[in-house]
Amino acid sequence: MPVSHTRSSCGVCPLLLATFLAATAAGASPAAAEPPAPAVSSSAGSASTSGASWSLRDGDRVVFLGDTFVEREGDRGFIETALVAAHPEASLTFRNLGWSGDTVWAESRGVFDQPAKGYERMLALVRELKPTIVFVAYGRNESYQGEAGLAAFRTQLEKLCDDLRTAAAAGAAHESVKPADVRLVLVTPHHFETADAAARNVALSIYSQSIRDVATAKQAGLVDLFAQLPTTAAPGQKLSENGVHLSNAGYAQAARVFAAASGHESSADFAARSDTLRKQVVAKNTLFFHRWRPANETYIFLFRKHEQGNNAVEIPQFDPLVETAEQKVRSLAKGAR
Amino acid sequence: MNIMSIMNTMRIRIVIAAVCLTLACLQPALAQRGLKDIPAPDPAAELAAMQVADGYEVNLFAADPLITKPLQMNFDPQGRLWVSSSSVYPQIRPGEVANDTVTILEDRDGDGQADASTVFADGLLMPTAVLPGDGGVYVANSTEFLHLSDTDGDGKADTRRVVLSGFGTEDTHHIIHTFRWGPDARLYFNQSIYIHSHVETPRGVRRLNAGGIWRFAPESLALDVFARGWVNTWGHAFDRWGRSLVTDGAGGEGIYYGFPGAAYQTAAGTPRILHGMNPGSPKYCGLEIVDGRHLPDDAQGQLITNDFRANRVCRFRLTEKGSGFASERLPELIHSQRVTFRPIDVKMGPDGAIYIADWYNPIIQHGEVDFRDDRRDRTHGRIWRVTAKGRPALPRIDFTKLSTPELLGHLKSPESYARDMAKRVLFARGSAAVVPELATWLKSLDSLDPDFERLRLEALRLRQGLDRGSQSDVDAGLLKAVLASPDARARAAAARIVCDWADRLESPVELLAPAVDDPSGLVRLEGVRALATLGGRRAAELALHAVDHERDDALDYAVWLAARETKDAWLPAVLDGTFTDDGRFGRVIFAVAAAEASAAVPRIVASLQDGKKDGKTDGKISDADRPAALSAIAKLGNPDQLRVVFDVVTNPATSPAQATVLLGDLLDSHKRRHVAPTGDVAAIEKLVMSPDDACATRAIEATAAWHVTAASEELAGIAESASRSAAVRNAAIAALGGLPGDPPRAALLKFCTAPENDDGFKAAAIAALVPRSVADAAAQAVAFLGTARDAKARTVVFQAFLKAKDGAATLAAAFERAPSPLPADAAKDGQQAVSASGRQEPALTQALAAALARGSAGTPQAAASAHAMSAAELDAFVSLVRDKADATRGAAIYARENLKCVACHRIGAEGGKVGPNLTAIGASSPLDYVIDSLLYPAKNVKEGYNTVVVQTDDGQVLTGIQVTRSDAELVLRDATGKEVKIPTDDIDEESVGTSLMPAGLIDSLSREELADLVRYLSGLGK
Repeated sequence: MPVSHTRSSCGVCPLLLATFLAATAAGASPAAAEPPAPAVSSSAGSASTSGASWSLRDGDRVVFLGDTFVEREGDRGFIETALVAAHPEASLTFRNLGWSGDTVWAESRGVFDQPAKGYERMLALVRELKPTIVFVAYGRNESYQGEAGLAAFRTQLEKLCDDLRTAAAAGAAHESVKPADVRLVLVTPHHFETADAAARNVALSIYSQSIRDVATAKQAGLVDLFAQLPTTAAPGQKLSENGVHLSNAGYAQAARVFAAASGHESSADFAARSDTLRKQVVAKNTLFFHRWRPANETYIFLFRKHEQGNNAVEIPQFDPLVETAEQKVRSLAKGAR
Repeated sequence: MNIMSIMNTMRIRIVIAAVCLTLACLQPALAQRGLKDIPAPDPAAELAAMQVADGYEVNLFAADPLITKPLQMNFDPQGRLWVSSSSVYPQIRPGEVANDTVTILEDRDGDGQADASTVFADGLLMPTAVLPGDGGVYVANSTEFLHLSDTDGDGKADTRRVVLSGFGTEDTHHIIHTFRWGPDARLYFNQSIYIHSHVETPRGVRRLNAGGIWRFAPESLALDVFARGWVNTWGHAFDRWGRSLVTDGAGGEGIYYGFPGAAYQTAAGTPRILHGMNPGSPKYCGLEIVDGRHLPDDAQGQLITNDFRANRVCRFRLTEKGSGFASERLPELIHSQRVTFRPIDVKMGPDGAIYIADWYNPIIQHGEVDFRDDRRDRTHGRIWRVTAKGRPALPRIDFTKLSTPELLGHLKSPESYARDMAKRVLFARGSAAVVPELATWLKSLDSLDPDFERLRLEALRLRQGLDRGSQSDVDAGLLKAVLASPDARARAAAARIVCDWADRLESPVELLAPAVDDPSGLVRLEGVRALATLGGRRAAELALHAVDHERDDALDYAVWLAARETKDAWLPAVLDGTFTDDGRFGRVIFAVAAAEASAAVPRIVASLQDGKKDGKTDGKISDADRPAALSAIAKLGNPDQLRVVFDVVTNPATSPAQATVLLGDLLDSHKRRHVAPTGDVAAIEKLVMSPDDACATRAIEATAAWHVTAASEELAGIAESASRSAAVRNAAIAALGGLPGDPPRAALLKFCTAPENDDGFKAAAIAALVPRSVADAAAQAVAFLGTARDAKARTVVFQAFLKAKDGAATLAAAFERAPSPLPADAAKDGQQAVSASGRQEPALTQALAAALARGSAGTPQAAASAHAMSAAELDAFVSLVRDKADATRGAAIYARENLKCVACHRIGAEGGKVGPNLTAIGASSPLDYVIDSLLYPAKNVKEGYNTVVVQTDDGQVLTGIQVTRSDAELVLRDATGKEVKIPTDDIDEESVGTSLMPAGLIDSLSREELADLVRYLSGLGK
């Protein structure tokens, strides 16, 4: 994030103040509706001059939403570990709702229904999870539509931002929680490293810019992986495994960008160092995966539940297991610090 | 195919019907309750219980603890057997750490028994597939497609790569499975019907909803869908020419032929599907084509698959037929009476023997039987080895140790195992090492060798696999030689390879030109599919050459699909008159009809009217093409264009048969597109009087559809005419229901009440009144049902109300107001009709229950079966079935008309297609499943037989089993077996119902009769 003004104290900064500071630091007026001018500086964070600043606070319930990048982060745990490690004293929960191949239209979430229904289910889950902050990482799969698909993407991303805030606020225990109180952090997709990366990244860049613009318009925070994840890794040191999906080294780099964006650069390498903590994070995520995307949904919850619906009782039994696992994450984070 | 985009365009709302919600409250599934005597897990006793085909014997290759529950197995080039196993299946328990395994079995001393077992990988979650390759092993791991490898040589995997992810897990016996290397060095794998997969690849997102076969190139990560559909595609094998044969663990049609773009039973988003070669088959799992010197001559080329439900290993023989095959079932290889023998995979082994993986479990499935049923075995498993008696085992070869020329030599091997393993090693060695040796080997081949054409194809296959991983030039010369092979199977294979090499060939489309006019249907099919894949105008024009030739179903489908896929390429050419059809306008007609290219209809009309298909050529449309041209216009045309067809229909020179077909097409267009011929269509009245029943019926339907009100009197006359057939009279009554104005209404009201009319006639009149006015009809129905004696007629009335929006509720209200209660018989008919609608109609259900309660001295009869049994009663009943019941008597009961079994279910070639085919029900289903299904039809609905309930914009409620669904149209098979087409645009609301089978069908049977019926059914297919 720009100028790292939030590094030490923003744990208690009201969101709007942070926005103000961020905007001021970027040289724009707080009320500016136009996207900021393209960054020219080459220093880290230079391109992410849009969106509100963000940080994590004690008691935050974090939801990650997105495509394969988010889904696999659940199995790797680098980003989450870095953020946990950055807040050893804070009580944080992380729930990963990534789904491979997904888009802002919830195209992977329809299951037996159309995507719109999957989108509704996703929002219902967000309402249930009551996040105080939601990370939204889309744009890669949509970018295959190129320029032609950009307007629709932006419109839907804005709608998604609004819907997520409404859902999260509706789920919150206190009636005083308003949608605007729910913090969003938009994440731009990292570069392609495929054989056709040059063309793909041109498309990705316009989608990333759109995400930055939406972050500004919606007063959402930003993690600008497109701008900030190194794109010209040394030969043989690609960040991705297959041109699209990050390797462990890539996730470690991404974790650094997330930590820095939240104002905690110093803890950035923690994920790479503390394998014990990271494995515990992954174990917790695995349990939560079985909770929210259980196998055999057809028989447990859907149109054949008259056959095995009785086994649905097992699924909430994952909740205490997830909680215990997360407590262990926290105590490991505290102990390791 | 992106079904999501299709679904996005559909104005539908899927609602899980309340029916399912209620049923969820029933007791947990108690299926396989009859299963009490579970044998001890003793391999010797299991072996003793096997009946093995003459000339074969079986020995135990491996059992627990060397392995646990095997899911898939594959050999590697060193002769080691890789087995994936799962104890977690069917569902991980809260707190359980997934620790399923991949194990390597070795028979080091070659005695036919495994003597070493190594756990290569653990920590897996239901690894449904395992396949060695690329320096490690590919493993299916629920949502993930993994590659595991051992980099430090300690025999255990230390590197885990997620190659692909995003596969669905909506049903854990549907998750990705059946990994198999293809002839093209691609990895083929399958997913089943309930799975929805969304996979990000470097070339974009690939989505597949429902069943299908994926095709994956590991070196480029290119992933695509090879063929779609099927329910549980648990078997896929390639014959020696690279053709795909497929089995289905639920599809019931035996062996299927797979080719690029083929779509079967469950394919999402296609209006057309293909069928398997053995309808009425049980469920099959695994598939291997067996061959080699160890096996006797008559076994060569046989297909082996497993009917795990019936504890047997089955065989088939293929013969070439048309563009594909015919398949014939042979006597079983193994049949066991032990319920724990569950063969699920079959592979040829390094010693020439047949290896069978036995899941070993008294319990199969997890839909019918509780996840946590304690009879579910979680520890045992066996690998059986089947050998031919008196024939020596083949020497085992470690292919990794052979030189490249030696490996090439093995391509001549009579064993597919040896050929496959040699190729795996050659692919691994890479282009630079193999290509020069391959050239030498190819030159050394003797063109007089009877195997020469196949060997040359093998060389081409090698180049195909090797070249994809490298940047080298492809061998166009070799490709051309094989394209010109005297053997059709080689030519067909080469046509597919053209696609793979398209970007490195000079003119791939022209290379395929001869294929579409090839004398062999097999080659034409591959040529058509290859051209459609390449795309472009010239490719499309060539693909349509296939229209000139004879087409069986698969080939016709292939051209139909090609026309649809390449529509954007050929349609502009047709429109501007530049399409090259070589004077064969039939190609254009076919393409326009297949792709529903209505923009091109004027060209077809012109060809009919002036004998010229465009301004540039003067080819007259041939007589042979005329019917297809008229049908295409009728199906796709606007009102003016439909008029052309109408004038042909009403032309006295037109035969009644052709008029019938064309009227059918016109009516179809009216229903689907709401269009009718322009101008005065009163001339249809002439055909109403046609002596040809089919023609008259269609004409009568047309008067109603097109609102020819002048026909009212004539229709009423036909309805009452004793000289006309029942079908024609019924059509006339129904037409009066659709005709606006008062005279038709008055005629119908008269029919409802005239004392001289029989029940069937009155019922038809009431049913015809329903769409006019539900309230009108309800008043008539109450009076009718109070006195009618004909049960069939009463059912017709209930069905009519159930088909109308608010129909059931209006009828219920009318019953409430009625002065006298509904007779019990009528109420029971009503209950069955509601049950068969697959919906809940609370108001009508309540009204019928109330009527029954009043009718039977205050004992309300629940909708539950009269034969409901407690667990103890069921045990006694099972004994009755086993000990006293008689299958012959049961067969006679099955055939009784009032039970309606035959109307909906097929056994062999007899019976309807509404419900599942029962030819093999006894072999595939446990006794208590059969009993349960008779008592509670809605409880265990077979995959693919859940009903779809659709409410249309015009207030109709239609229930049926989905036949096909595309972006334009949903086709349902209703309870009478009729296919009902519903335009997607007309669908207002859609929900999932349960079963079309009415509950209580068997209520009229005595306990003994029911036992006879169960005995008969449970013996079918055994």
